[in-house]
Amino acid sequence: MTIQRQYTLPHCNLSLEGLSDNALDSLAPLTVLMNAECRLPGVTDVTLTGGREFLDSLVAAVSRYGQQLLSGVASPIDATQAPPMVFLKPGENSYHHLIVQQQPLGEPVSDVSAQPPLDIKLNTVQLYDLVEAVDQLLADTQTLPDLTAQFQAVSRRLVQANEPVAKRAAPAALGAAALAAAGLALFFVPPPEFEPSRSELESTAPAQTAGTGTPEANASPPPGADSANPELSPDVGDLSRLENAPAIADAATIALLQSDVADRLRQAWADDTPRPSDDLAYRIVVSEDGDILGYKYENDLALAEVDSTPLPELTFVPVAGAAPVGEQVAQFIATFTPAGEVVLAPTGRNTGAAAQPAGTLPPLTEKVTDGDRIRALNSTLYDNILGDLGPLSASEALRFRVRLTEAGEVVGYEPINAAAGLLAAETPLPGLVTATNSTADQVDFQVVFTERGVLEVNPWDGWPQ
Amino acid sequence: MLDTLADPGLPSDECPRRARIQLDLLLLAIEALDLGGSEAMLAVARDLALDNLVKGRVHLWLLRGTNPMRRYSQRRPLQMEEAKALVMIICTLARRLTVLIRQLLIGQQQLTDKQLSLDHHFRLADYMTRFRSHFRARMNPRRAGVIAYSTDEKLDELAVQLLQQLLLCSGVLGPQRLWNSLFDGEVS
Repeated sequence: MTIQRQYTLPHCNLSLEGLSDNALDSLAPLTVLMNAECRLPGVTDVTLTGGREFLDSLVAAVSRYGQQLLSGVASPIDATQAPPMVFLKPGENSYHHLIVQQQPLGEPVSDVSAQPPLDIKLNTVQLYDLVEAVDQLLADTQTLPDLTAQFQAVSRRLVQANEPVAKRAAPAALGAAALAAAGLALFFVPPPEFEPSRSELESTAPAQTAGTGTPEANASPPPGADSANPELSPDVGDLSRLENAPAIADAATIALLQSDVADRLRQAWADDTPRPSDDLAYRIVVSEDGDILGYKYENDLALAEVDSTPLPELTFVPVAGAAPVGEQVAQFIATFTPAGEVVLAPTGRNTGAAAQPAGTLPPLTEKVTDGDRIRALNSTLYDNILGDLGPLSASEALRFRVRLTEAGEVVGYEPINAAAGLLAAETPLPGLVTATNSTADQVDFQVVFTERGVLEVNPWDGWPQ
Repeated sequence: MLDTLADPGLPSDECPRRARIQLDLLLLAIEALDLGGSEAMLAVARDLALDNLVKGRVHLWLLRGTNPMRRYSQRRPLQMEEAKALVMIICTLARRLTVLIRQLLIGQQQLTDKQLSLDHHFRLADYMTRFRSHFRARMNPRRAGVIAYSTDEKLDELAVQLLQQLLLCSGVLGPQRLWNSLFDGEVS
């Protein structure tokens, strides 16, 4: 008994004709398909017909295209196989094209592949009816139970493969081309000549300027010594270009530099060089990153035997005509002993700054307690400093702790912040120190030179009650 | 009921980014179609016995907030079960709105064929306007995904596209189709 099934929607009538397994049971499911017909009223007069192959292809095309519309991800058709009998593709203006490889009904049979495929233009609602008719067929367990919905998300692999090879390869090709072009361009560029960056080292400044604390250390070398050692490094014993370099104030940095430079000197002082007959002492100037910028003998033997030390090799030799050093430096005394030891000690002297009082002040023992006296000392100190105060180059406030005796003499001062340590020499404070070794009762004041040039003086322990 | 939606076989139990965006946008389109849409979502959740997954208004807002385009985007993940519940809600509501959606799409097609502006269809223009204002009120305009929809034209295009997708969701196999489409290009 032939069974007919109809799925009717406004724009799509899908009807199936077939047989059931059990001819006696009128409710048995349709299992063998004889013919499938799809009419699209309102769209086209053509009736699409076919057997199981046509129906399978229609179901697959509709399911795939419906999912593609929802996700926007096109599911690629396997190009290696023959084109499917039915497939759908998007068109202009939200239309859709149903492409069917078949011959219209009622025409004489001819070679299928010779016929141009049917192209049916559907709008979204018509397409939906087609999709829905197919879905109802799929959901109907009484018709072709083996035909069920096969929804499957599109694999990432297939999506990537969907991009044309040229598009995928473009970034890589562009990268390779850019590299090649850059290589070609750089081939013609000569390698840069190395130019020492310390071009400012060579001195044009007058030798041994003021501002050094220990005059004997800066004494010019005896003229004979220089002429007797013409082979010496041009700047041996000449630290003049380094004299105006600002000192490194940070104690930790100095300690680090000290051990670092001592290590390097020890390693560089080769075992086969003759050991000196007595201690060779040099003052060395070291940059913040550990380069030895210059050195100067501290005793005569050191000048005579400088070639037996590693200093000439390790010292950075500046190009001619360079300017004085502007970067921060630290100074050490390096002593090469006859036993083969290298001892490095900080000079305890800040370049450009008066050395002696700018250290730390010992704890105060004998304090001035008289409130009136403290007020009087405060105003005296204020007046004294203001009297000598010139313009400062500080960009931030300079804070000092200044110690006075009961009589008003300045015992010493101590920079509180780093800027104060660096720029102490610009303040009148070094010139005011008169009673370094006084044992009289003392009192501390805080002195602040603000960045706007205002002087503030007040007692360290606060104003007396 | 949720068992009809097969697990896509992703390594984690969390929905991919595109799925979260898509679900929220479809719900947004439903709200623009139906003034009582947000109430209807909660009612449908109760009717379908999904209120263990969509626990009331605030929870629904949190689930929709997993859309990264949102102004108040939630960092929480969207679990597979929660996404399935949203799919069922969308498809059920789309089915109820089928007639309206068909009318709007037919009108849109006719106007496009005549190269007329969509404003000529009163009901369609109403939907578009509401969709635009919903979108702008809730999406973070600084997100790259939202910047792409900065103009009215772009938003109208999106609104029509969502309308077509809602129609496809309304069929008998709509939930399965929508569910699988969420993972297109995500599964291995």
